[in-house]
Amino acid sequence: MATEVIMPRVDMDMTTGRISYWFVEEGASVVSGQPLFEIETDKAAMEIEAPAAGILRARAPTGVSLPIGSTVGWIAAVDEVFDLPSETGNLAGEAVPRADVAVPIVEALIEAAAPVGDGLIRATPAARSLARERGLDLASATGTGPRGRIQASDVLAQVDAKQKTSRISTSAGLLNAAWLRQGTGDPIVLIHGFGADLDGWRPFLGSAQLERPVLGLDLPGHGASPLGDMLTFNAFVDATAQTLKAHGVTTPYLVGHSLGAAVATALAAGPIEARSLLLIASAGLGPKINGAFLQGFSGATDEATLAPWLRMLVADAASLPAGFVKATAKQRAEPGLAASHASVAQAIFAGGAQTFSTRAMIDRLTIPVRVVHGRDDDIIPDRHTNDLPGTVALHLFAGVGHLPHVEARDDVMRILIEHVRAAG
Amino acid sequence: MSILTAEAAVMDLAVRELSFAQAIQEALAIALEADDRVFLMGEDIGVYGGAFQVTGDLVQRFGEDRVMDTPISELGGAGVAVGAALTGMRPVYEFQFSDFSTLAMEQIVNQAAKLRYMLGGSVSVPLVFRMPCGSGLGGAAQHSQSLEAWFAHVPGLKVVEPSTPHDVKGMLLAAIEDPDPVLIFEHKLLYKMKGHVPHGHYTVPLDKAEIRRRGRDLTIVASAVMVLRVLDAAEELAKLGIEAEVIDLRALRPMDTGTIIESVKRTGRLMVVYEGVKTLGIGAEVSAAIAESDAFDFLDAPIVRLGGAEAPIPYSPELEKAAVPQVPGILEAARALAKGHL
Repeated sequence: MATEVIMPRVDMDMTTGRISYWFVEEGASVVSGQPLFEIETDKAAMEIEAPAAGILRARAPTGVSLPIGSTVGWIAAVDEVFDLPSETGNLAGEAVPRADVAVPIVEALIEAAAPVGDGLIRATPAARSLARERGLDLASATGTGPRGRIQASDVLAQVDAKQKTSRISTSAGLLNAAWLRQGTGDPIVLIHGFGADLDGWRPFLGSAQLERPVLGLDLPGHGASPLGDMLTFNAFVDATAQTLKAHGVTTPYLVGHSLGAAVATALAAGPIEARSLLLIASAGLGPKINGAFLQGFSGATDEATLAPWLRMLVADAASLPAGFVKATAKQRAEPGLAASHASVAQAIFAGGAQTFSTRAMIDRLTIPVRVVHGRDDDIIPDRHTNDLPGTVALHLFAGVGHLPHVEARDDVMRILIEHVRAAG
Repeated sequence: MSILTAEAAVMDLAVRELSFAQAIQEALAIALEADDRVFLMGEDIGVYGGAFQVTGDLVQRFGEDRVMDTPISELGGAGVAVGAALTGMRPVYEFQFSDFSTLAMEQIVNQAAKLRYMLGGSVSVPLVFRMPCGSGLGGAAQHSQSLEAWFAHVPGLKVVEPSTPHDVKGMLLAAIEDPDPVLIFEHKLLYKMKGHVPHGHYTVPLDKAEIRRRGRDLTIVASAVMVLRVLDAAEELAKLGIEAEVIDLRALRPMDTGTIIESVKRTGRLMVVYEGVKTLGIGAEVSAAIAESDAFDFLDAPIVRLGGAEAPIPYSPELEKAAVPQVPGILEAARALAKGHL
């Protein structure tokens, strides 16, 4: 009887592992304890030894995420005629009662499916909708399901991997930034609001055709950016300007949401020669801000306590995307991030009011400026958009709260595309 | 409170178990007691007590006018039942084997199901057909079928298929009180199964599925005796770390698709297990309901149907077992589905 080789668990958080290298060829002989293959996890690479002596059979492919405990190969006795044990057999440690009636159900189900190699992307509906939501091109994902089918877990793995590789290393004083879209020409720069991070833009970008590269960055004390001593609005603006310059961004199309919109305005009025400015639910236009929200959000750390505050962000709670609360809670579980948000809230929105104003800066701008605001914004009132200069285009959305780019995603995307195109 | 009534109260609180057959008999007795319009018809349901001893001694308790043995003519019997229902009676007609309902198709499909519609709502046909069904007792091809999907295809009929003594009593009482024709399918292997049955009158809705077990990894929808097999398989799956959510379909027409949709949105995987022939059956309807629904976007694997073989039920006991889903096969398929092997 052949010995099964399984994907081991080498650290506590691991749910899948990837074989990066086989030290032994298919059909070659191994001795017990000899290094058999190397696995890679998020954290480490590790050699795994052969559990028995014999001939290695049915090696799993390299570079593919495999669940812990799954079979990655077999070691057969030298003189054994090896037949790949059927998937329905009694795998190691799994007590499958013997069938009193043999029904080859699984084989029949597998045979019924279509053949491989039709050149099409094979993905489940769940994977497709998740990819749309996260702005991932399915062609870039590796399917680990049968016949290479991309499953929801594959999309999540790909999103994770992408985030890791696209993070531009943060040198001293600079903010974390990532290219959310590659391309040539002046980039669109996205600056998130209080309590968010650059990943928050991914659902907005989705699969939109933007014709420009897109750079996202994390404000100080947010995402993967340091907070340091940057506890004033001006420090935020300076750090953002330096980060853009460090990435060779000199004439971007600036887009900001809420606090990020105020930062974008200050950048355009000061250190950055922006081509255009798009302000979504902008802070800085007036003094009011929902102090209860800032306090409640800053104090909440888990899904249950965050949910009521996050629902306040949108006019219709149903428009909050599935997973938004979960993702926010997960992000805030990162050590220090909640405290860091609280410091920012205290310093920049002291006493529940906006300590900075961008109103006069907008008057001075000569680039194209558009303002998008929800009529039902409970965080920053829409009346702050009254009395803007006549050269500023104003898009007010009824039935929309503080997240127009989420609640009226397609419309706001269309506005962004037109805006960038018109600015040339 | 006297000692006697206190004791009775205590006994009532204790869980009382009845067999599926006893639960049906109790429901019939309650209905006969409560409503003069209710009467039973069927072949050998009187002195003989019913082919499966379901009606038992009801003829002694309620007399031959209310528990009527009928001649060996399903078409005639069903026709009398439809006529009686039209005059305001509430007949309960037992087929010895639901296979024989094929002889009464005219009355069930063309008369009972249609008359309310064809007469502009001026009449209703409040009758119940009891349909002993399914394989497992060596009844072979003509006494073992699961034809419930045939009838569930006909608007105007209500079709239910309970899996527990509790539900069969409550659904039968609800069926007798319903203004329209209801077919209640009773899997013959369930008759001896015991379970908690409350005393007295209660009803179970004719249009609601029931989640029998909660789980996050896959949804298994099953009906009748398959619910028990799926629950057994689910226990084994749990030992492998797979948590199956098990939905007892109970109602075929109207079908409670909402409960299934909500479940699949949580699990992303669906398997349907039923005894009727796999093709064009319950599994097709449940699968299509999911494919057409909001749950589509949440499917993370192909839908799996396990149904009866594309053949008449054989007489050989081994082949008879092999012709319909059994626990090992359910376990095997559910495991493959949950593990992403399909």
